[in-house]
Amino acid sequence: MKIRRLRVEQFRRFRQPFELRDLEPGLNLFAGPNEAGKSTLVAALRAAFFERHRSGTVDHLRPWSDPGASPEVELDFELDDRDCRLNKRFLGRKRCTLQYGERAFDGAEAEDFLAERLGFAFASKGASKAEHWGIPGLLWIEQGSAQELRESVGHATDHLRSVLTASLGEIAGGEGDDITAEVEKQRNELLTPSSDRPRGIWLEAQQLCARLAGELATVEAALQDSRQKVDRLAQLRQQHDDEAQSRPWVALRAQAAEARAALAEAQSLQSRLAGERESAQGLARQVELLRGQVAAFDAEATDAARRADAVSAAQRALDAVQALAAPWQQREREAAQAHEAARRRLQQARSRDNLQQVSRELDDARRKADAAQNASAQVEAAQARVLALQAEAAACEIRAADLTALREQAKRLRELDIRRAALATRLRFALDDGRELRIGDEVMTGSGERLLPEATTITLPGHGRLRIEPGGSDAAALAREATELMDRQASTLARLGLASLDAAEARQQLHAQKLADLKVADATVKALAPRGVDALRAECSVLAGRVAELTQRLDPLTVEARGASDAADLSSVVEAEAAEERARQSLADAARQLGEAVSRRAAAQAVFEAAQGEAAAARARLDDPGRAERQAEAQRALADALARQAVQAQRVEALARQLEAARPQALEQDVQRLDRSADIAEKTRDQRRDDITRLEIELQATGAQGLDERQAALARDLAAAGRRQDQLARRARALDLLLGRLRDKRRALTQRLQAPLQTHLNHYLGLLFPGARIAIDDSLSPGPLTRDGAGGSESGEVEALSFGAREQMGVIARLAYADLLREAGRPTLIILDDALVHSDAARLDRMKRVLFDAASRHQILLFTCHPENWRDLGVPARTLASTALPIGQGGA
Amino acid sequence: MLKILHTADWQIGKQYGQFEPDEAVLLAEARIAVVERLAALATEQQVDLVLVAGDVFDAQGIADKTVLRLFNATRGFAGPWVMLPGNHDAALSESVWSRAQRLAAVPDHVHLCLRPEPLHFEGLNAVLLPAPLTQRHTYADLTEWFAAADTPPGAFRIGLAHGAVQGVLAEGIDSANPIAADRAAQARLDYLALGDWHGCRQIDARCWYSGTPETDRFRNNDSGCALRVDIDAPGTLPQVSVLQTGRYRWRSERVLLQVASDIDALCVLLDGLQAGDVLQLELAGQTDLAGLARVRDALAQAQGRARALRADLDPVRIEPTDDDLARLAAEGYLGEVIADLRAAQDSADGDTARDALVLLAGLLDARRTAGEAR
Repeated sequence: MKIRRLRVEQFRRFRQPFELRDLEPGLNLFAGPNEAGKSTLVAALRAAFFERHRSGTVDHLRPWSDPGASPEVELDFELDDRDCRLNKRFLGRKRCTLQYGERAFDGAEAEDFLAERLGFAFASKGASKAEHWGIPGLLWIEQGSAQELRESVGHATDHLRSVLTASLGEIAGGEGDDITAEVEKQRNELLTPSSDRPRGIWLEAQQLCARLAGELATVEAALQDSRQKVDRLAQLRQQHDDEAQSRPWVALRAQAAEARAALAEAQSLQSRLAGERESAQGLARQVELLRGQVAAFDAEATDAARRADAVSAAQRALDAVQALAAPWQQREREAAQAHEAARRRLQQARSRDNLQQVSRELDDARRKADAAQNASAQVEAAQARVLALQAEAAACEIRAADLTALREQAKRLRELDIRRAALATRLRFALDDGRELRIGDEVMTGSGERLLPEATTITLPGHGRLRIEPGGSDAAALAREATELMDRQASTLARLGLASLDAAEARQQLHAQKLADLKVADATVKALAPRGVDALRAECSVLAGRVAELTQRLDPLTVEARGASDAADLSSVVEAEAAEERARQSLADAARQLGEAVSRRAAAQAVFEAAQGEAAAARARLDDPGRAERQAEAQRALADALARQAVQAQRVEALARQLEAARPQALEQDVQRLDRSADIAEKTRDQRRDDITRLEIELQATGAQGLDERQAALARDLAAAGRRQDQLARRARALDLLLGRLRDKRRALTQRLQAPLQTHLNHYLGLLFPGARIAIDDSLSPGPLTRDGAGGSESGEVEALSFGAREQMGVIARLAYADLLREAGRPTLIILDDALVHSDAARLDRMKRVLFDAASRHQILLFTCHPENWRDLGVPARTLASTALPIGQGGA
Repeated sequence: MLKILHTADWQIGKQYGQFEPDEAVLLAEARIAVVERLAALATEQQVDLVLVAGDVFDAQGIADKTVLRLFNATRGFAGPWVMLPGNHDAALSESVWSRAQRLAAVPDHVHLCLRPEPLHFEGLNAVLLPAPLTQRHTYADLTEWFAAADTPPGAFRIGLAHGAVQGVLAEGIDSANPIAADRAAQARLDYLALGDWHGCRQIDARCWYSGTPETDRFRNNDSGCALRVDIDAPGTLPQVSVLQTGRYRWRSERVLLQVASDIDALCVLLDGLQAGDVLQLELAGQTDLAGLARVRDALAQAQGRARALRADLDPVRIEPTDDDLARLAAEGYLGEVIADLRAAQDSADGDTARDALVLLAGLLDARRTAGEAR
């Protein structure tokens, strides 16, 4: 289809008639700024085809604020090599006419004819929508929607398919897909979609089979068990009956009784043997005894001889010992004499020594006694002085408190006197001669002056008495105080026996002097008798005693010393002591040796005497008159006993042999064995009887279950379930196979159908993205795009590309569809309303190449507001202002 | 004159696993029902004695309820019944028989031969010599003792045994439990009633297998009957007549589908099925989709009429014709899938391809049918 002329009137922006003439069969570029009417022209084209002229929903086609307008579009175009004209008026004066070559169509007929030829549909009511637009909807790209391809293709798929399949001469109705969907549904009821595992009723059938097989196995096992039990029961019953006949335990009991009898016999034999053995032992003991007797007689004789020998030996020993004792007696006597001499010499030495020592001690004692005597005399003198001084000191002692009190009293009296003097009334008198006055008892004459410290009565003789009371009451109080003090002082002095304070002071001085003297005297005494006078005195008397004692001792010593004539050659005491010691040692030694010799002799004597006694006793026994007879008797008895023993031994041996032959131990084991065997036989019988009963009960219980019947029923059910499972398995396999085949064939067919589209798409793709490949999916939309990049081949969905690239893909895909349609002899017209505005310069250049190429086969109307971008398209840009002149102003 | 009804191999309690459970239950029920018919028959025929020659029960572990029902089913004939343990219900130490006795299920007129000892029917002047199995299998001839058994002079000597007559039946069939082929003559029996072989079969003039009274397998062996045995006097030859007792006719058919008329013949066969039919159908060959649909329809209808019908269509190869395809009008790639599956029937997993083809055809057909209905 190629549009040659387009005219609109009362149509949106164009209230006045507007016409585009002389459109090229190839590329047409329309430029104009926004609002210039580009979109209005596109809308007019769309309305001319898509909207029914009778439609009531096309108010938007009217110019603004012109509700009475009747929008009109008139198109001259070439379709199927025929000249055509479509005139369509909406709303007010609805009209539609189509001239198609020689044929003329009118109204809806014209519209339907065009829809069928161009491949679109009308809305059954209301405004036409994208889903109705079909092929034109795909090829007429609205502003900003070039990249939205899939939806447009979706609305055109049926038309495209019919084109494709027509070209292949095949029919691919929707039935194949319906059948495939049904097969898939049925298959997925039996198999999981992804993993091909049984599910639904097939799985249930399999599970039922497994369950039944399990139950069957259980029942079969029970049945097997039951059969074995039946066999066992038969066997047991057979054995039971057999044994009831043979009764093996009876024979065993009889054998046991026999063995027991034999054993009893053997046991009596055994006890007899024991008796005989005991007798033999008795005899043996008797023989032993008699042998002892006989031996004793022999021993007595031997003993007597031995004892006589012992006597002579003892005699010899005694003689030897006596010979040894004699020299020791002599030696002992000599040693005693030597010792005596040494002792005497020692005594003399000691006497002399004592004399000398006592003399020295006496001298010393005398000296000391004299000194002590002397000291004692001095001390006694000193002591007498101390006593005297003490007495003196005591006599003149005055207590410090008294002295202090006296001193205080004196001091206060002085103070009182001073205060009284100050208060006292000074009485000066000058009496005429002969005249007198008496102050108190005192008689005054002449002149004078008197202090009257207290109330004083002055008697004027002949004139009466004056009463002077100085100073008021204070004077009186002071006077009383002074009187009192003086009384107290007088009392103290009286008590001390002193006249005044001064006397007291003097006495205190004296006492101190005496004390000092006493201290000196005491020190003297202490120096002379540090341990006291009594000690000194005692020492004196001790020393005197010692002198007396020593003097007394000296006298006999002197006599004794004089007796020692050869005193001059006496050795020292020490030497004498050593000599005496040696002599004493020697004596002791000799005495000891002698003692030993004597005691040996005594022992030998005792041995000798004992031997003599024993020998005598032995001799006496031998000489006993009945002895020989008794000895003979014993020997006879022994011979007799030995004979009896031999006989007994034979008897024992005979019995032992008999017993060995009887083998009582084996007999005992026989009894045990046979008893036990009989027990076991009986027990086995009882056990078997119990087993039989138990098996009978078990089998009765099992029988009641009807196991065989259940087994048969289960086997029957299992067979049925197995058949069903097999059927379902077959069905599942068949469905799976069928689905696979359907999908394979569908895919193959789709690929075949898409081949021409693919060819066209690749043509443009080669111009846009050299080396790129693109797949086409079932809905005939471009699928994943594969390009060879730096990192190898990479593939991605068209939707994932950049906006610009998607737009470019949208345009080339549409061009490919257009080529496809053209080859099928379908009309094509491509409108690009402001498309490819997002393409960069390089891509735009390639797209221009694409468009230029496509324009050789299709009419392309390209509207743009950027004419500068399209300068190199190879066609002049027609600005709407210059191209389209309102008709009234005259056109070409 | 002694009149005997000879039967055997009731196999009470048998289950039929190869059938669907509902069919199997009815077939199991039929085994008790036939006993009731036997009782009625015995009464009607006025026989003196009913002999059951073993395998009364299918197994030892039969439910108590079933045991009680079986003995109850004998009440329709008040005369004596003699039952012999067979290999399925041997008189073991603990057996279905001992349980029946414990349950007090055995009526007085039913005699159980649990031991090999003569059973005297004085009123009938007859002595019965039974050879019960007391083990599941034995390799000794249990009828050995018959010859030595003394009977009153002039009394009928009737043997009752269960096992395989030596040298007569095919090798390998119950070769255990042997019975000497000349036992009847050798033991001077007037008649030897045998069980174990499920078909009715005569061994000699005095020795028969009665077979099972209600068929229980597809093997065609003349089963489903009982024997009426009339003996005029001891020593005379018995008159034996076969009485039909079975309700169900068991058949096994093999049909090869090659041409359209084969389908027609199969439909005729299926249409002829009645309530008493138990049919096992083995199908093979090939058919087109239309033929398959016809067979399916015929099978579905026959299944409603027959007692039981087992048929396996799986081995039949599906070969869609142009007509089929035209009818299916498989468009686009569906046609290719059909062609692929058709070819794949011959490949390794041909069964699955065939199933898939049938499934796809079914889906398309359903759409066409729905479309036509609209």
